Amino acid sequence: MSNLRCFGIEGCDADQKSPFSFTPQRLHVNKDHPLFEDGDIYRHMYLQNLTASETDDQPKLSVSEFGCHISGCRQLLRSVEEYEHHYASLHRHTCSSCRRCFPSARLLDVHIEEWHDSLFNILSHSRDMYQCLVEGCGLKFRTSTQRKDHLIKVHKYPPDFRFDKAKREHGKEIKPQRKQSSSVEVMQGVCESASDVCEDMCAAERDQQEEDMEAMELQGPSGPGAQGSPCVGTSAGQQATETGSDWQKPRYSYRVPATVCFGQGSVRGFRGRGRRK
Amino acid sequence: MWRLSSVRHKAAPQGRSVEESKLKRREQEKVLRQARKDRQLVSKRLLLSDDEDDDDAPTPMDADSGDRVVGLVHQLQHSSHEKEPQLKALSKALRNPSAQTIFIKQENSMHLLVGLLSGSQAQWRLLAAQCLHELSQSHQPNVTLACLPATPYLLTYLSGQSTKFTERCLYTLGNLCPDSDVIRDKLLAQGIVPALKKCMESQRYNLAVVEAVGFTLSQLLQAKDAAEKIIPMVLASGLHSHLLSVLTPDPQFGLAPAIECAWCLHYLTCSTVDNSALRAEGALSRCSSLLVTLGDAVSKGNKEDGMELLVWPLLRSVGNLLSSGPTEDMSSQVGHLHLLPTLCALARAYLPSQPALARESTWVLNNLTADSRELCVALLDLNLIPDLIQLLPFSQGINTMVLRVLGNVAHKTNSYCSRLAQAGLVPALCATLRMSEPDIVVLSLEVLFMLLAGCPQVAEEFVKQDGITLLEAIQYNGEGEIRQRAAHLLEHHLPS
Repeated sequence: MSNLRCFGIEGCDADQKSPFSFTPQRLHVNKDHPLFEDGDIYRHMYLQNLTASETDDQPKLSVSEFGCHISGCRQLLRSVEEYEHHYASLHRHTCSSCRRCFPSARLLDVHIEEWHDSLFNILSHSRDMYQCLVEGCGLKFRTSTQRKDHLIKVHKYPPDFRFDKAKREHGKEIKPQRKQSSSVEVMQGVCESASDVCEDMCAAERDQQEEDMEAMELQGPSGPGAQGSPCVGTSAGQQATETGSDWQKPRYSYRVPATVCFGQGSVRGFRGRGRRK
Repeated sequence: MWRLSSVRHKAAPQGRSVEESKLKRREQEKVLRQARKDRQLVSKRLLLSDDEDDDDAPTPMDADSGDRVVGLVHQLQHSSHEKEPQLKALSKALRNPSAQTIFIKQENSMHLLVGLLSGSQAQWRLLAAQCLHELSQSHQPNVTLACLPATPYLLTYLSGQSTKFTERCLYTLGNLCPDSDVIRDKLLAQGIVPALKKCMESQRYNLAVVEAVGFTLSQLLQAKDAAEKIIPMVLASGLHSHLLSVLTPDPQFGLAPAIECAWCLHYLTCSTVDNSALRAEGALSRCSSLLVTLGDAVSKGNKEDGMELLVWPLLRSVGNLLSSGPTEDMSSQVGHLHLLPTLCALARAYLPSQPALARESTWVLNNLTADSRELCVALLDLNLIPDLIQLLPFSQGINTMVLRVLGNVAHKTNSYCSRLAQAGLVPALCATLRMSEPDIVVLSLEVLFMLLAGCPQVAEEFVKQDGITLLEAIQYNGEGEIRQRAAHLLEHHLPS
């Protein structure tokens, strides 16, 4: 089947071949078909005088599991509610640049702004740009440390609440520090399909994702003293919507290309079409 | 209503605890499943003789049993009048597999038995038949092959009038059938099919014999080469019409004869695609109406012991008879209309205990609805869609088949789509779209496509159920055919 995405082409031909192929069909089932196995066994158990009584304890009925659709995420779930929770928690608000996911669109936006927006990077030197994370507060701060202090003092966040991306000790490579000035150009060079975004994100270790969730995923600027967070895969340099045609098998690498910087990248993250504007 | 009276079998030896029996059942089940995979699923039945207690423990294997057999044969060969006690003892001894081997190795032992079987003494005939019956239990090819000289006589006695004796001969033949091509070819050449037919005709009021005929025939029909060699013979002889006439269970005797005949019908219908001979005899309506009666009983809560054994082959026969044949047949038979609620009731009733049976019910529903507009609209009119939707959580082929049925309905015409939506299909699809099995997701997308294409209001409802987010996520699925379908729906059938 040919791919049908029309990327930004107006008046796309609606008569494109439909991928749908269902036709009603009567099915003849042959004697040896697996569909008939259980019944045949039941029949022969009867012939051999071994039919089960009511007290037989074998559970036979099974319910379909739900499974996260995002390719590479093999999570199985037991109900629609679990599915929704999983998806909303781990896939919906995901930054395509660094694969971190956030519990809400706003926090994702804040993250993208602070981490991947070069304009922010520039402006933050001269004015207060770090927003308070609490909805409705509106205050801004010059550094992320100041913001953190504000969150603890005024909004009573626990002092041990993780704000900074700590060094990862999960067997991943620790990315060496990067100088800010070199950050801007570097990102352009990395062109991976967005399919890696979700795959790599999902393939990250569970506890990292949980940590990400808790910490609301913000990090201070990567100045000389700060530590960058290690990337768990290659960075995506494109918008996800451009890559519908080239789905490849998940490629997942822990190694960080030398040219990639995770301080403040220059690329806006992917927020998915589901993002309501 | 109907009682299942099984053939009097060897009871489980006393002293076995419930746990041990369960373990044995589970192990035997594993063995049977493997045998089926190897296409060597064979079972034999043992008919206890009248004067035996069910409590008789199987003869223990000891060093003497071989000698005992040798001694008994010797005595039988050399005494001229007193044979009964020895024959009785011999038949008991022959329960032991190693004794069986020793017996057939003994010179002229089979010759002796055949002589007694064909002799003039009725009681000796009966006892000799008993010995052969024990030998037929063996799964060792050399033992059953050794019984071949007896088969012409066994066949001859099928037209006799002594029903107990006939029964025993039948079960012996039935046990011998599955073991080898050589035996089967010989039996076919010796005229087993006409003999079975004649027996069934003349003994049709003796339900124990009818059951035995059914069993023997079912053993023949399970052979690997049945479709080429045996089934044409059976159809040519007209035996199938007798099978059909026996299908209604007798309230007093029980389900057993109907069970055997129904399984024969199943083997006939599933082995060949062209079932015109069976259809000509009214097989479809006969099986359907019986299924409806059974379904009625089941939905009223009268689930008799062993009813699955009869429902199962009937479902399969109906399913396969429906799978071929002209489509006009569908709506012209009123019986099909009654089948619709029956199948739903059977699926619901057997879902917890026999989900495979529920699955086969939905398969029959598929075959009914695939090519018939009338039956699809009947499904809607009889308000059966919610019942089907309730089956959607269940796996192992149940939900995929139900989705096919729903697809059959949606495919027919646009007006059915809106009625399907009214019956609550859209939220159900939102659930199945989240399932992990790719087949389910693809079918769900297909059904959704038909609904959206047929009824624009569905789009509204789908969007309200957060369907767009769901489809967007589905675009990241690992399977290309899933991604493409989701993308197409987003592109062409849903507001952006």
